[in-house]
Amino acid sequence: MTQPERPLAADLRLAADRDLKGLILKHYLGAYRAKRPFTRRPVAWVTSGAPVEILLALGILPIYPENYGALVGSRKAAVPYCESAEQAGYSQDLCSYARTNIGSMLTGRGELAGRPLPRPDLLVAAKNICDVVVKWWEVTARHFDCPLFILDTPFAADGLTLDQVAYVRGQLEELVVVASKAVRRPAPPPAAFERDLMKVLDLTRQATGLWQEIQTLRQASPTPASALDMFTNLFPIVTLRGTQACVDYYRQVRDELAERVRRGEGAVPGERFRLLWDNIAIWYDFDLVRYLHARGAAFVGETYTDAWGIYQFSPEDEKDPLGAMARQYSLILLNIGLGTRKERLFNMLRAQRADGAVFHSCRSCKTYSLGQYELARAVRDELGLPVLVLEADMTDSRAYASGPAMTRIDAFLELLTSKA
Amino acid sequence: MLERLVAAGADPLAHRPSDRPSLGYVCSYVPEEVILAAGFHPVRLGARPGPTGPADSLLQSFACSFARALLDGLLSGRAAGLSGVVFAYTCDSLRAAMEAWKVRAPAGSFIHFLNLPARLEGPGVDTYAASEARRLADALAGVKGGRQVMAERLAEATRLVADLRRSLGRLDRVRSSRPDLLPGSVFIAVARGAQALERSEAARLLATLADEFEAAAAVGSAAAVGSAGAAAAARPSQPAGRPRLLVSGGYLETEQPLRLIEESGADIVADDLCLGWRRIAFAEDDEPSGLAELAARYLRRVPCAAKHPPDPRFDFVVRLADEHQVAGGVFLLQKFCDPHAFDYPALRDRLEATGRPTLLLEVEQGSVASGQARTRLEAFVERLRAGGGSP
Repeated sequence: MTQPERPLAADLRLAADRDLKGLILKHYLGAYRAKRPFTRRPVAWVTSGAPVEILLALGILPIYPENYGALVGSRKAAVPYCESAEQAGYSQDLCSYARTNIGSMLTGRGELAGRPLPRPDLLVAAKNICDVVVKWWEVTARHFDCPLFILDTPFAADGLTLDQVAYVRGQLEELVVVASKAVRRPAPPPAAFERDLMKVLDLTRQATGLWQEIQTLRQASPTPASALDMFTNLFPIVTLRGTQACVDYYRQVRDELAERVRRGEGAVPGERFRLLWDNIAIWYDFDLVRYLHARGAAFVGETYTDAWGIYQFSPEDEKDPLGAMARQYSLILLNIGLGTRKERLFNMLRAQRADGAVFHSCRSCKTYSLGQYELARAVRDELGLPVLVLEADMTDSRAYASGPAMTRIDAFLELLTSKA
Repeated sequence: MLERLVAAGADPLAHRPSDRPSLGYVCSYVPEEVILAAGFHPVRLGARPGPTGPADSLLQSFACSFARALLDGLLSGRAAGLSGVVFAYTCDSLRAAMEAWKVRAPAGSFIHFLNLPARLEGPGVDTYAASEARRLADALAGVKGGRQVMAERLAEATRLVADLRRSLGRLDRVRSSRPDLLPGSVFIAVARGAQALERSEAARLLATLADEFEAAAAVGSAAAVGSAGAAAAARPSQPAGRPRLLVSGGYLETEQPLRLIEESGADIVADDLCLGWRRIAFAEDDEPSGLAELAARYLRRVPCAAKHPPDPRFDFVVRLADEHQVAGGVFLLQKFCDPHAFDYPALRDRLEATGRPTLLLEVEQGSVASGQARTRLEAFVERLRAGGGSP
């Protein structure tokens, strides 16, 4: 944890945050209610890159163990769960989201009023974010003796081949059948299913459109929303994507930020430097971000939050919604090549008018982190911007030493000042 | 014979044939039959053991030492004499090593990524795998010195590789029946050599070697046979009653972990290793008629931990343990290898449920830290000798 004697900034929080808390509560309460006799609804545990619109169109409630990992991490409560998983033989080198969830699963304890996540009826993992989720979901399937579906999305280094799209599309068709069977329902007639799917895809399209508008509003000086706002406001786009509640919430956030921009109101008092964050948040140490904010260094963009704006479905997709999903779910940030990632990073740095970049080298997340050294070097050498690489972990605080990190942050701030 | 194979495995690039171009490849899912049919000598690229250098500025330390050392070798000019390198989708760390090499490789270097499915079954898997095999064949035809992969060339290459595997299969049986003649560490060194030496020569050597070892096993003595004698001499002399072990893990950069096990008083009679039986144990009854069938055959082989579903490998390991009557298992876990680390607890439980104790050792930079590991191994072997692991 960061040293308490260091002054931290009191950010201007969003009024929408109050509703966000309600959304989170409602989501998880809904998941527990789904297991009760009179409000029963099938529950699927899904990865953050899973084609959730198919499940929603089938009436299945998706639950996100990764989000649960982030929740546990932000409560600084992950370590005991990780240790339980390690005692069962899962290496400490494995992803801490996975260890947190496995520990919770094995002990039957959790951070939602002491409970673990509700038992799944179906497990769906998409390899587009990493190969770890495939293995993690296999562990979960063995534990619960639960049907498991793996969406295999081949690496899209230099774009997609027609064979890749066909392969992924075929699996999405298979998912409709597998998911229906897992929840003991007949597979819906294709026309009816596609109609329902298009409705859900349209809600995803609206939500991601609003999310992109929000990111664009952050280009203003001072920025109306910081990394703290965005990391917490990520919840609906991850877990409620494809629902009306998600659209309604982001409309509210968008309007609030637009008003802030109109009034020239910044999220970070005294904004002097504009920074970009790469990789997942360090959930247990938001003080690190507050420390930077207190020195006028505001995060105006995060590749992690930006990544959720990529699902660009359009009404045109009606012709082949599964084909559109196959393409979109194959081209997400962690499934594309380093060259494309660099291009997107540079575009983002320019669009958000960033003065520097902070790379969280996260030992749990290899697909995100491996390649960062090359990206950081490119930002420094090709764009001439100061960069900082922080070695940490998103959930497991044992992998993080705040003292050395703070020293490096101070040096980074000096560099930013000298370049100003 | 044996020495030549072992030497080739230890230094594959020094044993390249001079009459044709060589092509490096990284994963055992790359069909070397296609590389052969395209006119290249396939060289399985391992990684030099020991600390890494330039790769550490490109990949964090939590990428496994195999990925870092592989990249290190490439950055140090190791691929200079090769026509290119074929990577395959294996895991996130090797994907990152490939990406880093793409950025740093000299201009014009041939780098192919065989974008294999992670799933081994399901609709479209075979078709997609076949399309990737075709993409590889087409890419190789465009490399200098390469040629079109014609059906007859592919059939010839397939027969050659099948011959190699059959001979290794015969040697595997000797390893199991007479580990005093053919220790497990030597078997793996030979299998490594079979992925380095010119394949026709390797096939000839392996066939002769298999004849020799089978003869020696029949006679009951190593003394009459040159190669068998040499292999037996490699095994440290130990009192009788050496427990029979199975080892499980990923790619081993050296045989050091295996020798350490043997030095601790056990015999390695079966393996679930990337270089070993997992790669060799193909169904060879029929000859694939083309690229699509060959690709499908790779999908049906004993899977690596990075493939889904995991159960065929778990079943395979338990079956191996039964067939070879092993008393226990040693897991050689490459540090930071996610697929194997996730599988370990379940596979351990499966083996232990059959009454076979297991031991976990971590491998990094090609070896097991010998001091503490030796003590743990010796205690494990003692436990097995005391009857703690009879199935």
